[in-house]
Amino acid sequence: MRSPWVALVLLASTLSFAAPPSLKLWHGYRGGEEQAIEQAAKAFTAATGTQVEILAVPYDALSSKLTSAIPHEAGPDVFIFAHERLRQFHRMKIVAPSGPGLEPSKYLKPAVDALELDGKFYGYPLSIKCLALFMRDDRGLTAPTTTDALEAQLTAASNPAKNEFGLAYEAGDFYFHAPILFGFGGQLFDAQGRAQFETPAMEKSLAWVKSLQDRHLMPQEASGALVKTLFNENRTAMVISGPWFTGEIDPGVKYSIHPLPMVSETGLPMAPFLGVEAAFVSSRTTQPEAAEALAKFLAVGDATVMRVITGRQIPAELAAYENEAVAKDTMISAFRAVAERGTATPNTLEMARVWEPMKLALRAVLQGGVSPHDGGPLAGRRYRALNREAPPTTSPVPYVVVLVLGLVALVTWQSRKAKGKSFKQRYPEAGRGLAYVAPAAAGLAVLVVVPFVIGLSLSLFHHEAGEYSFVGLANFTDILTSKGYRITEPLSFYFTLVVTLLWTLANVVLHVSIGLFLAILLKEPLLKLRGVYRVLLIVPWAVPNYITAMMWKGMFHRQFGAINAILGMFGIEPVSWFAQWSTAFAANVITNTWLGFPFMMVVSLGALQSIPTDLYEAAEVDGASKWTQFRRITLPLLRPALLPAIILGSVWTFNMFNIIYLVSGGEPGGGTDILVSEAFRWAFQRNEQYGFAAAYSVLIFFVLFAWSQVTKRLSGEEQA
Amino acid sequence: MQIPLVVPCVLSTLRPLVSDVRLVGIKKSFGENAIVKGVDLDVIDGEFLVMVGPSGCGKTTLLRIISGLEQMDEGELFIGGKKMNDVPPRERDVGMVFQSYALYPHMTVRENMAFGLELRKLPRAEIDARVAEAARMLELGPLLERKPKALSGGQRQRVAMGRVIVRRPQLFLFDEPLSNLDTALRVAMRGELARLHRQLGVTMIYVTHDQVEAMTLATRVAVFNQGILQQLGAPLELYHRPCNAFVAQFLGSPSMNLITAKREGDRFVGAGFTLPAVGDASGEVKLGMRPQDLRVGSEGPIRGEIEAVERLGFDGYAFLKTPAGPIAARFEGADVQVGQTVAVMPTGDVLHVFSSDGARALRHPEARRA
Ligand SMILES: Nc1ncnc2c1ncn2[C@@H]1O[C@H](COP(=O)(O)OP(=O)(O)OP(=O)(O)O)[C@@H](O)[C@H]1O
Ligand SMILES: [Mg+2]
Repeated sequence: MRSPWVALVLLASTLSFAAPPSLKLWHGYRGGEEQAIEQAAKAFTAATGTQVEILAVPYDALSSKLTSAIPHEAGPDVFIFAHERLRQFHRMKIVAPSGPGLEPSKYLKPAVDALELDGKFYGYPLSIKCLALFMRDDRGLTAPTTTDALEAQLTAASNPAKNEFGLAYEAGDFYFHAPILFGFGGQLFDAQGRAQFETPAMEKSLAWVKSLQDRHLMPQEASGALVKTLFNENRTAMVISGPWFTGEIDPGVKYSIHPLPMVSETGLPMAPFLGVEAAFVSSRTTQPEAAEALAKFLAVGDATVMRVITGRQIPAELAAYENEAVAKDTMISAFRAVAERGTATPNTLEMARVWEPMKLALRAVLQGGVSPHDGGPLAGRRYRALNREAPPTTSPVPYVVVLVLGLVALVTWQSRKAKGKSFKQRYPEAGRGLAYVAPAAAGLAVLVVVPFVIGLSLSLFHHEAGEYSFVGLANFTDILTSKGYRITEPLSFYFTLVVTLLWTLANVVLHVSIGLFLAILLKEPLLKLRGVYRVLLIVPWAVPNYITAMMWKGMFHRQFGAINAILGMFGIEPVSWFAQWSTAFAANVITNTWLGFPFMMVVSLGALQSIPTDLYEAAEVDGASKWTQFRRITLPLLRPALLPAIILGSVWTFNMFNIIYLVSGGEPGGGTDILVSEAFRWAFQRNEQYGFAAAYSVLIFFVLFAWSQVTKRLSGEEQA
Repeated sequence: MQIPLVVPCVLSTLRPLVSDVRLVGIKKSFGENAIVKGVDLDVIDGEFLVMVGPSGCGKTTLLRIISGLEQMDEGELFIGGKKMNDVPPRERDVGMVFQSYALYPHMTVRENMAFGLELRKLPRAEIDARVAEAARMLELGPLLERKPKALSGGQRQRVAMGRVIVRRPQLFLFDEPLSNLDTALRVAMRGELARLHRQLGVTMIYVTHDQVEAMTLATRVAVFNQGILQQLGAPLELYHRPCNAFVAQFLGSPSMNLITAKREGDRFVGAGFTLPAVGDASGEVKLGMRPQDLRVGSEGPIRGEIEAVERLGFDGYAFLKTPAGPIAARFEGADVQVGQTVAVMPTGDVLHVFSSDGARALRHPEARRA
């Protein structure tokens, strides 16, 4: 009975050969939204016969993946992204304008407006996202229409003593603050389209939020996770959030969705930013018509209904609201009402420059480090520092000349050293030798030399919106002369360098002393359950460090963290860990110490166990006290084992990005950032200043290189 | 001929306080295992006491109890008349040379020796003088700046000794210091140790399981077995008048022959032999004869087949298989070969008589009773 199988295989292969080339679709969705897009893609295949290859990329990585893959023809035909990056995509020429398939009148007006650029439309709008007010029904509150009404309700609903609040939202994020700023009449951009921060509305909006927090009407340092917990546990009556929040509410909780209230003082509504998600067609697609068809298919008709029902998206297509199932969905219609008041987030480059300064100012004000009055100026200063003027383009010729001369000098010097002998004479077996080292050399070249050379060259360029210009050593001079900010400001290289050195020193000292102390305890043969302790103490090391970092970050939370809870038991006021430099730095150091001591403990334990006990007995008889034994026997004998560990530990700590990024995140105001995390921010959070970031990395390299020379000397002494 | 008196005046300054060591009913167990089972011992001031016994009999443990590195379970310890039970090692003023030397690997020879003195906060000049003196005595002068890694076994041994000497403790403890050395070096070091003891005149307790060391070095020897002191006395006294079969067999090489016999009137009768009876023992006994006191020949009360020969030159020892058990006996010159059947003959009054379980000596040969 073989023939049916053979027939099946043949059939399958002919089918796959017959199939038309498929389309690639990239998106950043998860959960219901992902399911919905998969359903819609299937429907597309059913309708047209064209296969769709779907790739879900984590949202954070999607943008950089798109911008790097599409120019190399390795990207998708269609991708889904929020409209804010449209201008950037356009400048990088990775997105194609929409064809005649796009009928603007069929979509919500702000949604299509958001996709317009210089008179042309790009992509097909799929859904909109914006903020609205979520209220628990069981609190019996009516939706406030003004801030006065809101405040009255919040006062009634809050109970500071029990950590219960009227309102919770991610107040440290400018996306959430923007509607409030607009409600107070604020304008983000001046007449020339430049960002402006030092406005009366900015001060008023900051002051209003701060006063809510000061009156305990809303929690401090609220993260998304905290907001969710508070709402589900009925510890807050209202939440400001977006459509995604509906997926986070426990099934049993009854709630309703309302527009944000109007600011009583100005009479203006709090208008949220409107994010429009659209299906864009790649400029490099090989099947423009099919891709266009897919993008359109996803944006209208059945696909929209699928996205609404399964993905809980707020559709951009007007027809969808006529659909029976959609019309009955109160959440969808509520958001539509909100969306009609909203303004699309500007898709300008200038908008992208606003986020970090505003985040800085918001957090500084909310943590109490800066008054609402000074918040705007703080953001303005940061804005000016981050958006440094592009250094003047220079000619690369002198650099190339110096490089060539250097190479020539090196070669002549080397051949002078060879004293006239030819290469063959000096290395008679070079061929075979090269064959032996080739695999390792190739590995080194790919993993070390090439990235290093690229990084080095990159540091001589300035990058802006996909274009590189040669600027010579300007990045270095800017960094080293601390151009645009004072040396004592966190943005300055020197400030960060000092912080990095302090950070490294504090950590290494703590790691070694705690590790050594515990190793000595664990070595004590009288200690019961020694094996158990040993394993327990190594656990912090076995847990991936970013998980540990997140746990500690949670434990350091001002209101809900375990550490303040413990301090509270001793009657100590809760500490706002990330509000001052000292405590934020301490929090980082504590976390990293937790991670770092096991390594030193294991190294010390091994080294301790290799010290013969009779040395201690001899010392004991010689008249040495325990302390003297430690100082004169243990320490010197540990040195050979500990020194390399300390050198290694110091380099690790110097570049310990995860802890800084995840625990303090550089707060307050970037003050606890170290060199690597600062380099990261320049590259990925501050207008993609890759060249500047590369220059930072080169400087880091030089610092570590100098340190390695010092340690070489140190361990050299050891050998002698 | 005048025998030079060997305690030079210079060295007499090294003499510490008059001291003696006294152990009273000392017991020590590790978990279930009783290791030291009640030891009473008086060490006379200035003597060289050697503790011997088979491996695992508790010698090291006892030494460590004296030094304070180990706590005793029961009993009392006095050093220099002072009760030491609860005094930590560093206050006991004892010097200990470890079996492994335990030199501090990160210190030079000089630093190793000076360490104990520095801890006592002696003035620098004094420390240097003492180190120099000890180095001269032990011929360590050229090695002072080396680290232990760069020393030979014998040199390390001397450094270990020097480290103790410079401190001038009132009591020296040695735990098999020579066991790691080769034979030639061991013989040489033995001589140095004896000289050192004569020079310093200080009490030394020395642990070994090498009976030659015990016989050559000791003022008195203490023989241990299974955590019990078997006998204490001058080396020759122990050799000639062992108080039980264990001591008799432990000292002397080859070890004493022991055969079972029964007293029948004026004869000892055993398997395949009869010997004229001596002493007043009756019934079942154990007879001991040192191989040195037996001659191989054609005539004799005990006959057997030669199983092995240990020729030292003109003479040597033959090991026989006899009905009474294995017997070792001396031979001279004679043409002795494995496989021969020969007789052995006592060279006079040589018979030690022990109770049948070997626990008590009943009689020793007359001539050696003095
Ligand atoms: N710390 C300890 N824990 C448990 N048992 C021990 C300990 N120290 C010694 N022993 C046991 O006590 C017994 C006597 O040990 P000790 O070292 O005193 O013997 P020794 O007479 O010095 O032997 P050797 O001649 O081989 O050095 C041995 O059986 C040993 O296993
Ligand atoms: Mg021992």
